[in-house]
Amino acid sequence: MSAPGCDGPRVTAYVDGALTAEARAEVEAHLATCASCREQEAFERGLREKMRTLPAPPLPSGLEERVSRRLRRRSLPSAVRWLPLAACVALVLVWARGAAPFVAWELMRDHVHCFSKARLPAQVWTSDAREIGEWYRAHGTELPLVPSSAGGLELVGGRFCPLLDRRVAHLYYEGNKRRLSLYMVPGPARFASGFGLRVRGEDVRLLRTGGTTVALVSEDADALDAFQHALSVSVAEAAPVP
Amino acid sequence: MTREQRFEAEALPHLRALYATAYRMTRNAHDAEDLVQETCLRAYRAFDRYQPGTNIRAWLFTILHRARTDSFRRSARSPQTVELIGDGPAVAPAQDALARGGEDIVRAMEGLPEVFRTAVVLRDLEDFTYEEIARILEVPIGTVMSRIHRGRALLRAALGTRTT
Repeated sequence: MSAPGCDGPRVTAYVDGALTAEARAEVEAHLATCASCREQEAFERGLREKMRTLPAPPLPSGLEERVSRRLRRRSLPSAVRWLPLAACVALVLVWARGAAPFVAWELMRDHVHCFSKARLPAQVWTSDAREIGEWYRAHGTELPLVPSSAGGLELVGGRFCPLLDRRVAHLYYEGNKRRLSLYMVPGPARFASGFGLRVRGEDVRLLRTGGTTVALVSEDADALDAFQHALSVSVAEAAPVP
Repeated sequence: MTREQRFEAEALPHLRALYATAYRMTRNAHDAEDLVQETCLRAYRAFDRYQPGTNIRAWLFTILHRARTDSFRRSARSPQTVELIGDGPAVAPAQDALARGGEDIVRAMEGLPEVFRTAVVLRDLEDFTYEEIARILEVPIGTVMSRIHRGRALLRAALGTRTT
């Protein structure tokens, strides 16, 4: 079908006006001598003409509306789009509040906060464990048996801390320039028995005594040992004899 | 004017052309609509990268073609494998077919392998230049030329006996 010099793709490009002037002249010269290529040219021109008259497939009704709707869904304010993620993060945080490291962290911060004040923010001042127990009982909180002193530190006073999502009894101990906080955390807390953590130079220990959680915070490990021992003795003594 | 309003004002006027080409590519209304929806979403996401005043029509068709290619990739099928010229009615001379109606042409078009069909559609129905088609299909101009040539030659063969 092709004679020498026939170049079908070039004829196609010629029909489409996609050739340079020079190439166009060459193709025209060839077309003048080649019937086969003239037929190709005629067919392609006719095809293009005919294609223009073909009806376009009808646009499905409502397509434009559906497209717009999807775009709107995409373009919600970013705050709204992040909402599900934010909700998940919030859930995790709420869950984490009962978890040991989170509890330990908050107690450490509170301990440092209280003892960094010129005057301790106590609500009750006493060095008598029995007396402070009564004060808390009068305010609706049953304390476990706490020591009046241990490891050279003595009870100074106490208050309620609005810690976590609960009211936490916070007892202050001081002695020999050392400081210790004893927290009674009501409600459930998730930690392995005897959880300990050292944060920013403060040791935090979470202990379960009876049904409640007692936390000890101090920068002095010896004081913590002494209090841990004193608590275990007093709790054992208070336990009903089997 | 919000970003969404700007996009709708600029892009949605081309919805009909996009759909027509999507329909010729996929050969059915359902896939064509999916393809157009996907194209619009992608275009909207990338709208910040579109430079106002440049050829938005060619830009949209580039996205349409990419979306089509990706959908093939997902279904692990290449557009090139959609082969075989459909068995149309008895052979008639190509020029006669052109003289008759559009139905033969439509049927012959549907029988073309998609690579050639798409090139012919972009040229003969959407009237893009070779340069624009090269950008849309992301191939060299020489490839555009040979695809259009091959597509038309196959149409000619499908529409009737090839006159030599």
